[in-house]
Amino acid sequence: MKVPYVDIGAQYARNSGILEVIAGVLERGQFILGPEVETFERHFADFCGCRFAVGVSSGTDALFLGLKALGIGPGDEVVTVPNTFLSTVAAIVTAGAVPVLVDVGDDYNLDPDLLAAAVGPRTKAIIPVHLTGRPARMKEIAEVAARHGIKILEDAAQAVDAAIDGVSTGALGDLGAFSLHPLKNLNVPGDGGVITLDDEKLRDRLLLLRNHGLKNRNESALFSFNSRLDTLKAAVADAMLKNVPEITSLRNRYAALYDEGFEDLSPFVTHPPRLPALREAFHTYVVQVERREELIEFLARRGVETKIHYPIPVHLMEASRDLGYRKGDFPVAEVQADRIVSLPVHQHLVPQQIEYVIESVRVFYR
Amino acid sequence: MKVPYSYLPQQFADPEPVLAALRRTLLKHQQYTFGPELEEFEKKMAGYVGARHCLGTSSGTMSLSLLLKAAGVGHDDEVITVSQTFIATVGSIVSVGARPFFVDVLDDFTMDPSCLEDAVTDRTRAIMPVHYSGCPARMDEIRIIADKYELPVIEDACCAIGGRVGGKHVGRFGLGGAFSIHPLKNLNAWGDGGLVVTDSDEVRDRIGLLRNHGFSDGRDRVDVFGFNARLDTIQAVVADWLFPRIDEITDARIAHARRYDEAFGGPEFEGLITLPPRRADARHVYHMYMVLAENRDELLQFLQSRGIEAKVHYPIPVHLQKASLDQPVPFGRTDLSRTEAQCKSLITFPVHQHLDDEQIEYVIDSVGEFYRG
Repeated sequence: MKVPYVDIGAQYARNSGILEVIAGVLERGQFILGPEVETFERHFADFCGCRFAVGVSSGTDALFLGLKALGIGPGDEVVTVPNTFLSTVAAIVTAGAVPVLVDVGDDYNLDPDLLAAAVGPRTKAIIPVHLTGRPARMKEIAEVAARHGIKILEDAAQAVDAAIDGVSTGALGDLGAFSLHPLKNLNVPGDGGVITLDDEKLRDRLLLLRNHGLKNRNESALFSFNSRLDTLKAAVADAMLKNVPEITSLRNRYAALYDEGFEDLSPFVTHPPRLPALREAFHTYVVQVERREELIEFLARRGVETKIHYPIPVHLMEASRDLGYRKGDFPVAEVQADRIVSLPVHQHLVPQQIEYVIESVRVFYR
Repeated sequence: MKVPYSYLPQQFADPEPVLAALRRTLLKHQQYTFGPELEEFEKKMAGYVGARHCLGTSSGTMSLSLLLKAAGVGHDDEVITVSQTFIATVGSIVSVGARPFFVDVLDDFTMDPSCLEDAVTDRTRAIMPVHYSGCPARMDEIRIIADKYELPVIEDACCAIGGRVGGKHVGRFGLGGAFSIHPLKNLNAWGDGGLVVTDSDEVRDRIGLLRNHGFSDGRDRVDVFGFNARLDTIQAVVADWLFPRIDEITDARIAHARRYDEAFGGPEFEGLITLPPRRADARHVYHMYMVLAENRDELLQFLQSRGIEAKVHYPIPVHLQKASLDQPVPFGRTDLSRTEAQCKSLITFPVHQHLDDEQIEYVIDSVGEFYRG
């Protein structure tokens, strides 16, 4: 049996309406901003329970422009984690600020107990990452942020439709940065991103920042970037948004099947504790395993594609050489990087494929 | 009669061939970033421009930023450019932490090479001429100064796909050139997109990293923090579909411009419409057909009332934008009186390839009617 890690082709085959959405945009002939973008922004803001959403060109730019909107630049520090897709850290560097990293807990997310020690007089913001689609421990993070008067920018690139006690990701901090990349749970056929927030002044600033600083066609209030969400993609995202709850529930159902199937495999296979207050929205299903490389090879031979998110923590990448970190600085993240594996969990799989993966893992450890 | 400025509904009136190409891309393989479609388009564009390398990016603005980055331009460096341009030229300079130094323009709205030496300081790191409106800047003269001071030239060719000087395509006169394939450009996509052309392997490699998060080897290793600045695969498919029509599109625009020139250069418009000088050695691709007009604002209103979508690109030059005036340390500048004077009378008439001769005559007649009173 084949169990592919991703299958975007299936998505478009099953949603042939997407090309009709594109054709509709063509008919109107407006490809930059306009009503489609505004409609998607309104719907996405509602979906997250926020007042506003601002479409941008990518998840990376959502983080970067979020930082810019908060006025973060040279001389400032921003706290985040080492085990994330590198653009979390790159966005901070691009804004001219210094990333300060803290280790993670057994949920793969920022460990709030280590946060206070990382916050200093130059700290302007915290970027908690909701890695895998699991919300970070926002209550404790928010307490530290409030105590020090610093802002929270959620990296929700992997976490559309997740929630804590019914409050959605994107509404858990001051700003939420989402990605609409083709591999995300809510996706467009290309790069795209969206920022959620409640603060109207920040929203107005983001509208300037994403569009050359233009107040209108002729007047620029500030020098900025071209970082718009294409109209075409906004139309697709808006059409896809209504499928998100179903996508989440399928992915979560598969995750629950895995959890159950691996229950007696500890310590060979372990997963983060599942907490009733959290709604995870499994973008990836990540477990820690013994003899990882062998397992990956074994599964590959049986037609099961797996991935590692991510094998090298950001502080150990060559790009981080000037940040002054060394191996051993973040022991939990580093141990996890050697033990984690992502199993296929997307919505185009059928339960038999999940059972097959579970069975294959069980055979391996038997 | 209506003379619209945008032609997008007409250009894609029959979207079936493009949609079919997209359907193949969307359904056949699972790549929406990079992939063979992008590479194919990049190869064609490199060939068309005559450059060794072409890289797709997320926008024309980003193409400029990436070229500046690749040239090592950064914090507090100065880049000599013009104020007679779309704001993004300067936005790209500021985005890498550098500062523009503005020089004045010639009567054809492009960089005046005779101002350059006054603008060179010990912080100058690059010269960025703009082929504004599709009119190639004086590249030979600009190159002389650039070479004298050993400064890289980065061409803002965002308006000028197909533009040439003496048979050589714009974008090839310096370290690299930036093109835009924004929906309203002569070669366009269905959203934001851009291209970088260069002959330098080093610039190609550097921008190859910077446009894709710094990934050098697969997706796990990163030597330098970069951006997400990719040209979407689907936009490459759209642009590739239009690619065979670039010269047809350009020639249609040039033909309309010639007719305008013939009419507005005649005695009836003397002292009322001033044409920029035209050069025999340069191929102006007329992304915009811009002239200077007496009573510009009233003319604009009159034309619009007659269904003609004339525009002004732009009433406020970059150095007088709030974004510039708010700088704690003012940007450097030479005398910019020509730029400022032009902005008071610049007007842009519709010139796109989907207009017919009758519409062009209607614009000419309407302008005549306005001045006859």
